[in-house]
Amino acid sequence: MNQISWSRYLLIFVIFIFVAVGVGARMVNIQNIPAAQTILENSKKLVGVTQTIVPERGSIYDAQGRLLAGNETVYELGLDLRSIEQPETIASVVSSVLGLDYNTILEYAKTKAVEDKKLYIVLDSFVSKEKINQLALIEEEYAHRVVGKNEIKPNLQGLIWTPYNKRSYPEGDMGANILGFYSFLDRVDGKGYYGVEEAYNSLLAGTPKQVYTPFDPQKITSVDDIPPGASLVLTFDREIQAMVEQQLAEAIEWSGAESGTILVYNPEDGGIIAMATTPRMDPNYYWTQADVFPGSTPFNRPISETYEPGSVFKVITMASALDAGAVKPDTVFTDTGSIMVGGTTITNWNYGAWGEQDMTGCMQHSLNVCLTWIATQLGAEKFYTYLKNFGFDRNTGIDLGGESHWPLKLPGDNQWYEVDLATNSFGQGISVTPIQMVMAIGAVANEGRMMAPHVVKAIVIDGHQYDINPVIVGNPIKAETAKALTSMLVTSLEEESSVALVDGYTVAGKTGTAEIPTPFGYTSSVTNVSFVGWGPAEDPKFLVYVWLEKPTISIWGSEVAAPVFSKVVQHLVVLMEIPPDQIRLRASAEDR
Amino acid sequence: MKTKNIFQAYKQAPWRLQLQWIGLFLLVLVGVAAIAGVYLSLSGKAAVTGRRIQNLEFQASALELEVNDLASQLAYASSARVMSERANKLNMSLRDPADALYLEVPGYTADSFRLAPAAAADTSTSSSILPEFTASLWDWLIDKLAQMPGSNTNTPEARP
Repeated sequence: MNQISWSRYLLIFVIFIFVAVGVGARMVNIQNIPAAQTILENSKKLVGVTQTIVPERGSIYDAQGRLLAGNETVYELGLDLRSIEQPETIASVVSSVLGLDYNTILEYAKTKAVEDKKLYIVLDSFVSKEKINQLALIEEEYAHRVVGKNEIKPNLQGLIWTPYNKRSYPEGDMGANILGFYSFLDRVDGKGYYGVEEAYNSLLAGTPKQVYTPFDPQKITSVDDIPPGASLVLTFDREIQAMVEQQLAEAIEWSGAESGTILVYNPEDGGIIAMATTPRMDPNYYWTQADVFPGSTPFNRPISETYEPGSVFKVITMASALDAGAVKPDTVFTDTGSIMVGGTTITNWNYGAWGEQDMTGCMQHSLNVCLTWIATQLGAEKFYTYLKNFGFDRNTGIDLGGESHWPLKLPGDNQWYEVDLATNSFGQGISVTPIQMVMAIGAVANEGRMMAPHVVKAIVIDGHQYDINPVIVGNPIKAETAKALTSMLVTSLEEESSVALVDGYTVAGKTGTAEIPTPFGYTSSVTNVSFVGWGPAEDPKFLVYVWLEKPTISIWGSEVAAPVFSKVVQHLVVLMEIPPDQIRLRASAEDR
Repeated sequence: MKTKNIFQAYKQAPWRLQLQWIGLFLLVLVGVAAIAGVYLSLSGKAAVTGRRIQNLEFQASALELEVNDLASQLAYASSARVMSERANKLNMSLRDPADALYLEVPGYTADSFRLAPAAAADTSTSSSILPEFTASLWDWLIDKLAQMPGSNTNTPEARP
């Protein structure tokens, strides 16, 4: 090869080097100009799409596995503006099937598609499956329609429907105060309110995940499974809840009460078996909340509304005094009809003097004077220590959204007076929620062990069930005290021939009639009536708490709340499959 | 001069050289075409499989929605209120609790409802894929050597 050839090769090489360097420099330059980032972002839209997949919300079941809150399919109806061929046909069909305005739909359907800006218009959301089936039938009929030579075949090209989940509550308003509701109309930021929907919102919702789907079919891989939100199994039983709600409705109608609450609690493990209250709202129509709960009406009275419970609170006072040794069951108190505490005279409910009474008699006749004396024997410090041990100074921690409590007035507080020791001893001047009462008195039924009230029995995550173990929140009284008091309350009901008694079953219980505080003092003409009872007395499986607000048929708990307790328990023992004492005790004796 | 003559003596005829070059070119061309064909075939299959995966995922999502919907429909159809209405239509009435008859069934204990197996009960931590498909060649070789007769890899038995 001669020298001229070499120099030519060298020249070509140098030119290529320059071109390569130039191209490289330009590449680096292009990648660093401000527009490069925009180009890069825009190019991502052409190679794939990143979507946030929201997992389906977990379901809620009752203790027997019946669905209480699930998901049903509804549809979003929309227009793909690029594909519309016959706007008039779409407007006509959609307006006739869904009842939407023809002109509005026509206007939408005639909208020109603008790339990257306006490609899709939502016509309607939460469209039912039936309506979509109608649209699908019409579309199919159009597809198979035979038309003449000069006729145009109608089509719904561009009308699309996309299915998605909507929260549904098959039982309607039954147990709605326990379930709460999910604001499903807000498809982006929907969340649970009240009840388990609020308390377990994060678990039920699951974890949204970002998923990238490439347009290049060769790069498509299977998407990771997105697990649904956790499902919950509740402690409450649908059949018992339905029965209790029916009994409550009948009781309110019969008694003329403004509202009512019935709680059925398992004192052995703290599980809520039923929690009925009024008013209730169908969570499928949660937007009616303001109408159903006007003003300050709480969503779930048993956990949110405090009231002065009256004489049912004497169970707590007596339990404290017996446990501290201030009195014994056979201690005799001579009732003179009144007692002076802190400059205030305390009298009995009938203003009478009941003479010599043992502690069972004091409970049986619900003597305010006797219980006041017991509280003074116990002393303020011990009395309030017991109240704190029973949990009256705090929320119970039940796993439902919206729990509240009234602060417990204690000696030394500005608002506490000496007379409060007396009035508190018989459940006046102290405000509690029914769930606080149930938890505290549950300790008496459960040999002194106070169980945390809860409504969730198990959580199902990724196909595995995690059972929630019962939690002991305290031992406010000794087992012997609890047994002794239960025995006293069994005797007091039986000797009184109370209407709370249930044939074939031994139950312990206490009535309560509370005057209602008003801005002008306490009123005796309208009352809160309550009854708390548990059974079977020797091995309690249930504790029932009844509270009726301002009944008109009678002001007395013994006449209004006690028979409601009895009726509830008559049905409860059947549904809970608890045989009468005679059969049960014989069977257990044979087992031994 | 002498060297040139030797080259000339062994030099192929020009048409032979042309044939050789053409043959070589065609060989390369066929090779490239074969590779391209295989690539196209595989990428086509991959694309079809990708679309199939996507369709199956859409189907799975649709089925999940349907399952949820059917579960809800079933729950509506068997809700307490509906069942009560159906019972009333069939002239059924609530039994008096006093009439309840209790029978003792020895050994019977009512099962409590479980929605899913307990977490602790799931002990199947091993993979469902056989080790033959996951072991490396080296692992396989070691394993085979260990299984050969005469190999002394067993743990010696404890002797007193």
